[in-house]
Amino acid sequence: MFRQTKRRTAGRRNFEDVASYSSLATSAYPSRLSFYETPPLEEITLEEFELWAIDRLKILIEIESCLARSKSLKEIELVVKPLLLKYLPLSPTTSLGLDAKAIAERRKDYYSHYILRLVFCRTEELRKKLVKNETTLFKVRYNMLQPNEQREFVSLNSEKLSWQYISNEEKLEKADELYAASGASIRNVLSIDNAGDATFNLTAEQLKAHIRQKESFIKLPFEKVPHLVSLKQVYLSRGFAYIPSTLQVSLLSVVFSDLLHNALIKTFQAIPRLEEDDRLLPLLNNLSRNFANIQYDNFGDGNTSDINAVSIATPQILQHYPLCALYLQENLKLNSHLKYDGRQQLGLFLKGIGLNVDEALKFWSYEFTKSSKMNMDTFNKEYKYNIRHIYGLEGGRINYKPYDCATILLRKRPQKGEYHGCPYRDLSMDLVVSRLGDMGIKDQHDINGIIEDINKHDYTVACTRVFELRHKQQMDASKPENLHITHPNLYFDRSRQLERNETKAVASK
Amino acid sequence: MTAEDPTMRSFNADSQLLSDTDRNASMHTSSKLYKPLSSDMLFYYERLLPFKQIFRWLSHSPKATREFTMREFAYEFRSGAYQRYNSFASVDEFKKSVVAANPTRFEVGAVYAVNPKERKNLPKSAMKPLQKELVFDIDLTDYDEIRTCCLKTDICKKCWRFIQVAAEIITAALREDFGFEHFIWVFSGRRGAHCWVSDSRARLLDELARKSIVEYMDVLSGRMLKMGRTSLGIKKPYHPHIERSFDVLKDKFSEIILEEQNPWATSAGSDTNWDHVDTLLSFLPDQGLRQALKSKWQDQASYSSSKQKWDDLTSVGQKVLKHQSQAVQLTDAKKEIIIYYMYPRLDVEVSKQMIHLLKSPFCIHPGTGNVCVPFDPFRNLSSDMEDDAYGFNPVNAPNLSQLQTEIDTWDANSAYKAPSESSESEAISDYAKSSLKPYVDYFSTYVSSIIKDELTGSNKRAQDLMDF
Ligand SMILES: [Zn+2]
Repeated sequence: MFRQTKRRTAGRRNFEDVASYSSLATSAYPSRLSFYETPPLEEITLEEFELWAIDRLKILIEIESCLARSKSLKEIELVVKPLLLKYLPLSPTTSLGLDAKAIAERRKDYYSHYILRLVFCRTEELRKKLVKNETTLFKVRYNMLQPNEQREFVSLNSEKLSWQYISNEEKLEKADELYAASGASIRNVLSIDNAGDATFNLTAEQLKAHIRQKESFIKLPFEKVPHLVSLKQVYLSRGFAYIPSTLQVSLLSVVFSDLLHNALIKTFQAIPRLEEDDRLLPLLNNLSRNFANIQYDNFGDGNTSDINAVSIATPQILQHYPLCALYLQENLKLNSHLKYDGRQQLGLFLKGIGLNVDEALKFWSYEFTKSSKMNMDTFNKEYKYNIRHIYGLEGGRINYKPYDCATILLRKRPQKGEYHGCPYRDLSMDLVVSRLGDMGIKDQHDINGIIEDINKHDYTVACTRVFELRHKQQMDASKPENLHITHPNLYFDRSRQLERNETKAVASK
Repeated sequence: MTAEDPTMRSFNADSQLLSDTDRNASMHTSSKLYKPLSSDMLFYYERLLPFKQIFRWLSHSPKATREFTMREFAYEFRSGAYQRYNSFASVDEFKKSVVAANPTRFEVGAVYAVNPKERKNLPKSAMKPLQKELVFDIDLTDYDEIRTCCLKTDICKKCWRFIQVAAEIITAALREDFGFEHFIWVFSGRRGAHCWVSDSRARLLDELARKSIVEYMDVLSGRMLKMGRTSLGIKKPYHPHIERSFDVLKDKFSEIILEEQNPWATSAGSDTNWDHVDTLLSFLPDQGLRQALKSKWQDQASYSSSKQKWDDLTSVGQKVLKHQSQAVQLTDAKKEIIIYYMYPRLDVEVSKQMIHLLKSPFCIHPGTGNVCVPFDPFRNLSSDMEDDAYGFNPVNAPNLSQLQTEIDTWDANSAYKAPSESSESEAISDYAKSSLKPYVDYFSTYVSSIIKDELTGSNKRAQDLMDF
């Protein structure tokens, strides 16, 4: 795509006429949903290139995290929808066509998808990961479409899909068989769609009526839907499977993932040409370096007045700590000392939660001198500089950012007498389990899930799971954006945010 | 080709009949049961096995196609040795190789992109299977928990009824649900049957699709024990395939299970069949009903049949069960019992794998001497009218020792005839002189229908489906 861009520059057409630009865009992006089959050919800036890719990556990382925790599609939708609105909104086509905003949204969606193809095409493992996450995103978005948009999408892609809807006569003639084979799945989908309505309960007769009046069926060679055949969820006749429209998203997603997987292999083969461009390569490498490493840099949220040297040792604040910070601070308290790596990790974390430099010096000096192993002079001589350095007040005066999980996992592991690092990785399983117990996680099923994540080296998944278990009630009540924890400070800020939501909800009652 | 060598024909004397103990152990099986010697096998390969028909069946054409020449065959030898990756350029080479190797049997595998016998010079990845008939395998040993007439390798025409019912159900599903037209049932030589589906669409199915078909047909593996109650876990309403299968089963249940198998028959003072009775009771929904029935049956002073017990389910149920919902549960349980006792038990692994090898039709079962003849589950091909009710009677299946006698008799008779007639009889294939004839004829007709369809319609149809 990008090499072609260069070559095209010479003959680039000038789209000054907004109307013609708009109509071109409408035909380039006819639907909110896409199989992304034609590579975009317009030029974009390097800045857009990076920014758009990161925005899309944020969404895919969430999906990856949800899938790792075996969330259902409905649960993933709850998590991803708000993120989509924020990072990759897609406005529907209106009767007037597409306005400039909608065109820009679709461009961003298209380009970011293609950029991530470049980033993730290099190994089969990365390709599979992208296909899995993009396919899930596709499903989420398909379900967000209006029914008429879904139909339009199918008809726009009719050549590729060759979906043949059965006639109403055929449907009525086979209504009993269709009900017997697919009724349960249709009921399932309908009741998920009406999940908010506790009174929703479809009788067999209502379900039959729904099939006769509303449901449409497509007819496909049974080979196309082996999983539906296995489960006997579709009616089969003379080599054709009859698939109710409620199950069609699974068919579309098969097409989507096949197309994408093939396209990624082609992209990979084209990569050597692309690498001639020395501006893109570092960008691509940077993006692919760590799938789960998106900088969380939204520290503090203006509500930091209650963070001080005293409060951070209280249960009210400590309850929002992730295990890594808790473990550091507890050992600091116990030993009246922390070695360098521990001081860095905890010091930056505390800075991130809003502890200012004066309060930090108060806190550290108190902890170091409280057992009278060390006097204030020694502290001032040997450690004050270190704390001020963390705040960018010494040496190179760099405003250091708190470590994210990826950084913590990359740095050297704790030796004996050191407490930095990620406890989910570094502590023995016994210790992890006893720590989980301290945090109120005692259900064996929950514990097993966390142990499984740890065994798979999915430490941030384990941490996210812990977060969810500890905030179950609040999260059920407020249905917030569900984020994968990739940063200790994200854990803290989210935890406090949930608590605040809860207080607000109680106050408004 | 079939030049007569007198030494080859002294088979009757050489044939090693099973010892008396072997025979007593298998009272139900044919008295013709014997283990053919290698000389018997050689005679069979040289004179009787219809190589040409098998060749055409696998080539889908009167001529050699890649579907034959790239096809894997495996030999199994008397020593237990197993030789894979044989392949043949023509029907003559096929027959020559089998005669020369004289295996106890040969098996048919998949068609590959390269010649299987050249695989040693090729990378492993080249040995990718391209196509293979879709196959099903039913073995009566999987019915041992159900059948009362025989055990293990034994078989009688009563238990063949299970195969007959299975064939009927699978035939309906293959035809009506999956749209296949060309498939044939083959006796496995002792206690089971294979089904070979040759539609080009079936041959091209990938393993995921094959798996989906056997899982679609599988109804019994959902069986579970929950709170002491057995259930197949079949959801209501029944899927159309299960509903249609049930309609077939329910009509035969009374005859095959209640009368012929009679698994729940008990007599006072005897332990026999109480395990079967417990299985029956375990399907019932209500603890009270199970107890009421069991004590009623245990208290019976005389013989009580399966039919009486089956009727008791309803009559005692009416007394014990108070709620309408329990009555519905009982009806559902009775349906599941019928399905459990009669629904086909498939060996799923055989069907899933594309490279799986399966004994060719018309091979000789090395343990019985029976010919693995194709049969029509709905129509008896033998001339024995008594078998008409069974479609096929495994006990009367053509057997190598019997075929040899038949051919001897024919040859002896024709030797007395006029020379002109005698020369005419030379033209008659040896199989036509024996009771193998109706089976070879049936197979030939079947193969012709495949070839005809392959040449005209079905290629086009497969193409249409590809374009879908
Ligand atoms: Zn039997």
